[in-house]
Amino acid sequence: MAEALYASSESVLDWIANQGSTRAVIAPRQGDDGAIRYEPLEPGDREAARGVLALAGPSLLPPGKLFSPPGEVLFTWGPAEDGSFRVEPRLDRAPRLLAGVHPCDLRAIHLMDRVQADGNPDPHYLARREATAIVGLACSEPCSERCFCEAMGSLDHHEGADVMLAAVDGRILAHARTPLGVSLLADLAGEPCADPEAAWARHRAARPEPFGRALPGSREALGRATTAAWSDPVWTRHTEACLACGTCNLVCPTCYCFDTRDEIDVAHPGCGERCRDWDGCMLPGFAAVAGGHDFRRDLAARQRHRVNRKFAYLPAAHGDASFCVGCGRCGAQCTANIDIFDIARDLLAGSPDDAPEAEVSA
Amino acid sequence: MRPRIAFFDFASCEGCQLAILNCEDRLLDLLQLVDIVEFREALSEKGARYDVAFVEGSIHREIDAERLRDIRARSRLLVALGACASTGNVQAAANALSPAENFARVYGEAARNRVQADRRHWPLWAHTRVRPIEEVVEVDHHLRGCPVVPEEFLRFLGHVLAGTRPMERPHAVCTECKAAGVRCVFERGETCMGQVTWAGCRAICTRQGYRCDGCRGLLPDANLAAHRRVLREHGLDDEAIDARYDLFCAAGRQAIEEGPL
Ligand code: SF4
Ligand code: SF4
Ligand code: SF4
Ligand code: SF4
Ligand code: SF4
Repeated sequence: MAEALYASSESVLDWIANQGSTRAVIAPRQGDDGAIRYEPLEPGDREAARGVLALAGPSLLPPGKLFSPPGEVLFTWGPAEDGSFRVEPRLDRAPRLLAGVHPCDLRAIHLMDRVQADGNPDPHYLARREATAIVGLACSEPCSERCFCEAMGSLDHHEGADVMLAAVDGRILAHARTPLGVSLLADLAGEPCADPEAAWARHRAARPEPFGRALPGSREALGRATTAAWSDPVWTRHTEACLACGTCNLVCPTCYCFDTRDEIDVAHPGCGERCRDWDGCMLPGFAAVAGGHDFRRDLAARQRHRVNRKFAYLPAAHGDASFCVGCGRCGAQCTANIDIFDIARDLLAGSPDDAPEAEVSA
Repeated sequence: MRPRIAFFDFASCEGCQLAILNCEDRLLDLLQLVDIVEFREALSEKGARYDVAFVEGSIHREIDAERLRDIRARSRLLVALGACASTGNVQAAANALSPAENFARVYGEAARNRVQADRRHWPLWAHTRVRPIEEVVEVDHHLRGCPVVPEEFLRFLGHVLAGTRPMERPHAVCTECKAAGVRCVFERGETCMGQVTWAGCRAICTRQGYRCDGCRGLLPDANLAAHRRVLREHGLDDEAIDARYDLFCAAGRQAIEEGPL
C-alpha cells in the first residue's frame, strides 16, 4: 500500500465524498452568508466536498470544536427501575472523518489532544476524538490578512492528521501520516509518489514568503516578554475597547474552558441532564467563586490572563512554544478590533522605558 | 406539598403570560406538579401565600409599588417575568420626558390640556417614573426577554421542583451566536446590541438573519462607552445610538451612564 499518492482534485473529492458510506464526513463549506462552517456532508455529495480543497479564509469556528460541541450532554441521571439512583455518561463514539483541516487548526487539535488526555482526562472529548479520522490540507497561501500561523509555528504542522493533502505541481499530494491514513489511501485513485519529502519541499518553495503576518521575535521570546509584562500598560491599552463579549475565547481553537448546567425534566424533577457550555476567561463571572467573590473582575487582568494562557502558562504546563496557533480568528471576529497579534507585537517590542506601571488588579 | 405559584401583572402587554400559556403541551405536565393559585389570564381563585410569584410588568405609581411589596412579603421566591419587570422595557424611555410632555406627544396638546384640567383624570398624574421591579423589591430570579423564552420558564420551574435554582450567567448574546455558528452582523456592515445584552434567548434574532435589539436588557458591567465607539465606527450617529439603547434598555442605560439615583 502506498504511503503517498499524487491525485487529481476530482479524485480527491470523490474519495472524500465516498468515505460517507462508512463514517460521517464533516467538511468545510461556504454558506450563503459567506461564512465557512464544518458541516456533515451527504454521502457521495462530491460538489459539497469542494470546500475540502478550497482556501477561502478560516472557518467561523475551528473544526476541533467538533470534539466538544456547545451544550453537549455529559450524563443523565434519575431513578432506575430497582429504585436506585442511576447516572449514565454519554459518550459519542460515532465514527467520523473530519476533512479539510488546515495546519493551524490541526496543531490546535494536536495541542488539545494533549491537554484533554493529561492529568484529568476528558472522556467525552477523547471518545469523539478517538473515533475521528482527520484529513488535513496544507495551505498554499495565507487564508486571510489576519493570519500569522507561520509566526506561531503552525504552518508546517502535520501531526494529528491521518492523511495530509497539499497542492504540488498542479496536482494534489496525499500523504498518509498514520496506519489509518495508509488504509484510507487505499481507496484513492492516483499514482504513487516515491519521494513525498521532495514533494513537500516543492509545495513549501511555491508559498509566499513571509507567509502571513510576521512577528519581530521568536515564540520563546514572546513567552518571556509576556511573563515580564505583568505590570505593563499593554493590558489596559488593549482592553479599553473590550466589550467582554467572549468571542475571542469562543472562536479560539485552543480555548477549552467550560461551565456546566443541569437541565431538569419538568414532568419528572428527579431526572435530568448535566450539560456543558463553552465558557471563557474574558466573560463576566468566569472567575466568580462561592460567595460571589470574583478574583479576576478587572478586564485588563482578564486580557492578561488570556494572553498568558496562550504564550506562557499553557506552553509551560504542556511543553510547547505557544498555544496560540496564529489562526487570526479572535482578531477578525472581535467587533472592537482587539487582535492578539497586535498584543504579541507590542509585547515583543517592549514597553517604552518611561511608561508608567499600570495598576492592574489581580 | 405542591408548590403554590401565582402570576401578577403591572404595566405590560401581558404577552409574557401569553407566551407561557402557549407552551400548552408542557403546561399540562406542570399542572400535575404545582398549584396555580393566581393567574389573571387563566384563573380567578385567590390565594394568600406563594412559593413562587411571577411578576410581569414595570412599576409606574406608588400604589403599584405598594402592591408589589405586598406580593413580595407573601412570596418565598419572586421572579421578574419578562423585559418590563426586569428592565422597565420600552416604556422606560418615558423617563426622559415629563409626564405632561409625554402625554402631549402621544395624544396631542389639546387632549393633554383637557385631561390636565379635569380633576377626574388627576390620578393619571400619579405616575412617577418607570421602574423595573428590582428597584422596589428584592428579586430572586429574572426571566428576561420581550417576550420571555418559554423554555426558560419551564427550566426555572423544573429547578424549583427539584429544590435548586438555575444560574443566571451574565454573558452577552454573542456567546449564543458563537454556539449557534452565526456569522456576526457587523461582518456584513450592520450593527447590533448583542455585545452588551444578556444572553439566554439562544440568539433567536441573529439566527434568523436579523440583529439583536437588546430586548433582554443591558448586562450589569456593560462597557457602554466602548460599545458606542464601535457603533460610531460602523456609521451610527449619537442620536441613532441613543435610540437603539432606549428601545429596550432606557432604564438600564440611565443606571449605567448616570449612576444609581
Ligand atoms: S492561519 Fe495559516 S494554517 Fe491556518 S488556515 Fe490560515 S493560512 Fe492556513
Ligand atoms: S472579542 Fe474583543 S470585545 Fe469581545 S471579549 Fe474578546 S477582546 Fe473583548
Ligand atoms: S488566540 Fe486568536 S489567533 Fe491565536 S489561536 Fe486563538 S483565535 Fe487563533
Ligand atoms: S451578531 Fe450581535 S450578538 Fe451576534 S456576535 Fe455579532 S454582535 Fe454579538
Ligand atoms: S437576540 Fe436580542 S433582541 Fe432578539 S430575543 Fe435575544 S436579546 Fe432579544
